[in-house]
Amino acid sequence: MMGLTSYLVISLFLFITGLVVMISRKNIVAILLGIELILNAAALNFVAYSRYVTGNLDGHIFSLFIIVVAAAEAAVGLAIIIRFFQIKETIHIDEATQLRN
Amino acid sequence: MFAQVLFLMSAFLTIGCAIAVMVTKNIMHSCIFLLGSLIGVAGLYATLGADFVAVTQIMVYVGGIVILMLFAVMLTGGKDFVSRAQNLLGLAPAMGNKWTYGTGLFVGAVFLLTNVSLLMNVSKAYPVKNFGNEFPSTVSAIGKLLVKEHVLAFELSSVLLLGALVGAAIIARPRKQ
Repeated sequence: MMGLTSYLVISLFLFITGLVVMISRKNIVAILLGIELILNAAALNFVAYSRYVTGNLDGHIFSLFIIVVAAAEAAVGLAIIIRFFQIKETIHIDEATQLRN
Repeated sequence: MFAQVLFLMSAFLTIGCAIAVMVTKNIMHSCIFLLGSLIGVAGLYATLGADFVAVTQIMVYVGGIVILMLFAVMLTGGKDFVSRAQNLLGLAPAMGNKWTYGTGLFVGAVFLLTNVSLLMNVSKAYPVKNFGNEFPSTVSAIGKLLVKEHVLAFELSSVLLLGALVGAAIIARPRKQ
């Protein structure tokens, strides 16, 4: 039951869910939630291949760097969202049409 | 036996909470379901023998990123905060309508169909075997790898974090009058 394919199925499902969330939502914070799901799917794939195919710890290292980059991306993205809300008074994605007010 | 029970619980938590993130209408509930999905992914890391990655996942994601997103949701709680509809495809202004959901499900279905054949042949493409108990604890090995082979990426990630935090503080500062 716990083979490489089952982890890959879970990872594919997480990726597709994140993709659907990113495409279908109009809220900018919800789009960031979809990005986090996609990054988790990629990191889970790295760790699963590291155990079942390569047998060394390089996948773990790559997964840790994915978590670091996700933290930095969430910090900058949420700062941009708060700044956007200060200017536009909404977080609807269709309102984001200009780089400056 | 314990590993299989943990795997099943983590898999159902991950998939169920991911579906809930996709279909719920309240952005606050969506953040909470994302938290459940991330905890499930941490359990999957634990079943894969990646203990350090699992603990880092819980500390960084559950303790940091989801809390940051909840703060952002509450700070930007404008007129779109309260969803006006309870059903999935109703009139909730910032959470998507049936056209966007249809497009997303179509793209997701196409992606799923193009990847099923790859998943069927994955055991033929790679020599898959279980390196299960080779690493009883990965912490010391990951520490040595981070300061020996991957030290450049380690330092670059610290520079990236510093730049991201300073940039976030500059971007989100209060407006000058």
